[in-house]
Amino acid sequence: MARLELIIEGLRVGIEGREIVKGFDLTVRGGEVHAVMGPNGTGKSTMASALMGHPAYEVLGGRVTLDGQDLLAMSVDERARAGLFLAMQYPAEISGVSNANFLRTALNARRPESEPVPVMQFHRELKAKMESLQIDPSFAERYVNEGFSGGEKKRNEILQMAVLRPRVAVLDEIDSGLDIDAVKLVAGGVSQMLSDDMGVLIITHYQRILNYINPTNVHVMMQGRIVRSGGPELATQLEERGYEWLREELGIDEPLTEEA
Amino acid sequence: MAHTLVDLTPEQIAAFAANEPSWLQERRLGALGAAHDLPLAHRKQTPLEAAGFTLPALPQTASVTVGDVHDGAEVMELTQAIAEGTADLERHLGRLFSEGQDHLHALHLATFAGGVLCRVKRGRELASPLQVSIGLQGGSLFAPHVLVVLEEGARADLIVELQGEAGSEAAVRGAVEIVLGDGAALNYTEFQRLPGRVQAYWPRRAELGRDARLQWILADVGARLAVSDTRTYLRGAGSEARVLASFFGGRRQHFEFSHVMVHEGAHSTSDIEARGVLQGKARAIYSANSVIRKNAKNASGWQHEHTLMLSEEARADLIPELEISEWEVSAGHAASAGPVDPMQIYYMESRGITPVESRRLIVAGFLASLLADIPLRDVREQIADIFLEKVEL
Repeated sequence: MARLELIIEGLRVGIEGREIVKGFDLTVRGGEVHAVMGPNGTGKSTMASALMGHPAYEVLGGRVTLDGQDLLAMSVDERARAGLFLAMQYPAEISGVSNANFLRTALNARRPESEPVPVMQFHRELKAKMESLQIDPSFAERYVNEGFSGGEKKRNEILQMAVLRPRVAVLDEIDSGLDIDAVKLVAGGVSQMLSDDMGVLIITHYQRILNYINPTNVHVMMQGRIVRSGGPELATQLEERGYEWLREELGIDEPLTEEA
Repeated sequence: MAHTLVDLTPEQIAAFAANEPSWLQERRLGALGAAHDLPLAHRKQTPLEAAGFTLPALPQTASVTVGDVHDGAEVMELTQAIAEGTADLERHLGRLFSEGQDHLHALHLATFAGGVLCRVKRGRELASPLQVSIGLQGGSLFAPHVLVVLEEGARADLIVELQGEAGSEAAVRGAVEIVLGDGAALNYTEFQRLPGRVQAYWPRRAELGRDARLQWILADVGARLAVSDTRTYLRGAGSEARVLASFFGGRRQHFEFSHVMVHEGAHSTSDIEARGVLQGKARAIYSANSVIRKNAKNASGWQHEHTLMLSEEARADLIPELEISEWEVSAGHAASAGPVDPMQIYYMESRGITPVESRRLIVAGFLASLLADIPLRDVREQIADIFLEKVEL
């Protein structure tokens, strides 16, 4: 398989007529881990949701290609089958549908109808992946996200990523609401999957998770665009000095606490 | 407005029932007289005046296929049961429809043709379900009658399928009667998958003795027009009845269903759980009533109705009611109708599941708890598959 290549150029996204993402550029290649950091309300999650095709967000301009294919021209399910995965901050609950059935349906959607994934093999692999993420085996038969704690939902998102093996995984605030042991588990799960075939985009407010997944690139987003890019040292700097420092240096004087 | 029965005379009924015992001929003639006297009840949301099943015509006999029958049980085509002079017939046939007289019920009792009799003998517990399939072949009007009698302490599962040859435009004016003796228990599954142009009127009645238990599992997907009212009389103390009703209407299907639980026995309990799915321009009128009569002390009657709307043009009317004439009871209802949550669809699609498959999963999850008690796995899966195949974008 060719090395992954996700190219985002000049992406502009709005919601209810208000522009939130104002020209976002980023390229992620296989084996790379990009962290997009920034204060609340700067458009990080909006950018991630627009990549996936969330119905509430409107793409106002720009271009996104995944392995050369025009991502923005695709429907949500086509984007997923093309290899995009978004670990969501607030995943939906689906009553009456077991996790196992949900995942098997998602896997089969990627295969010819005449060749569904063998059931026994599926359950064996699911069980192994659940064990490595320390998810109780009973979760396979529980309804998707129904009655899950915040942390359980996050781990379930990572489990789905591990089963579906995307080309590029966007993790939206995967670390929020997780205790440190869970952050390590999630980070371990992501690191294990990294290869030339897969790239990762981590959206986070805090530097904490980056102690366990080494980012190759760190970007700071403010007011709807990337204002600074660097290596892992940029995350450390932000951790020590906060966002205020960068805001002053860049001469951004709008308040940072705009609604997300 | 008088509904005319000029086309159907006592002489015609007498000729139609020429081979039947005199008690039945007399009942048919009595019912014909009642049908003459009773006007067709007007239903505001489902006018029946033009429906094929109101025709005062003589029906054809539906085909009846019976699965394996076990020791302790009898399942036979009703015409045969009448010819053999089975004792329970005279006692029970039509009895539960004599309360609350209605033109269509009377017309049915005057003209019913064939159907099935199921009897389970006292104290017998059947190891596997009885299965009956009622089919419409050719013809324009069918009037099958289903009579189920479980004697004292008997236990059984029964699965009844209503089907017909593709393209049929027939009308059905049928009826189901269930009589459960003291301590008897029946798990009754009925799967209505009639062809898409059929019009069906299909009332059901049940009577429960002391400590008897009845579970109605009713799944409706077929017919252009389906009207049914299901009335369960909890006569005995400690009797228990439960309805698990699921339906899926699409295109221009029109359903009117009602479920009534009538509590007469003390400590009787009932529960109605109904879940419907509507798409296209389908319409459902769904009502439920828990009637707790005087002296039904400590009775409890609950209702839960939910309808999932897959299209904006579909329409659901939910009408929950309670009629309580006793003090120490517990009863209540909850009803809701709403569209699919777009965030659920987005979430599923974000995992690569196609839009139509996402809706199928949601529908499967929505109905799962109502189909879970269908006794045979292959029947359960077949019913679920037929529900899911209906999902359109």
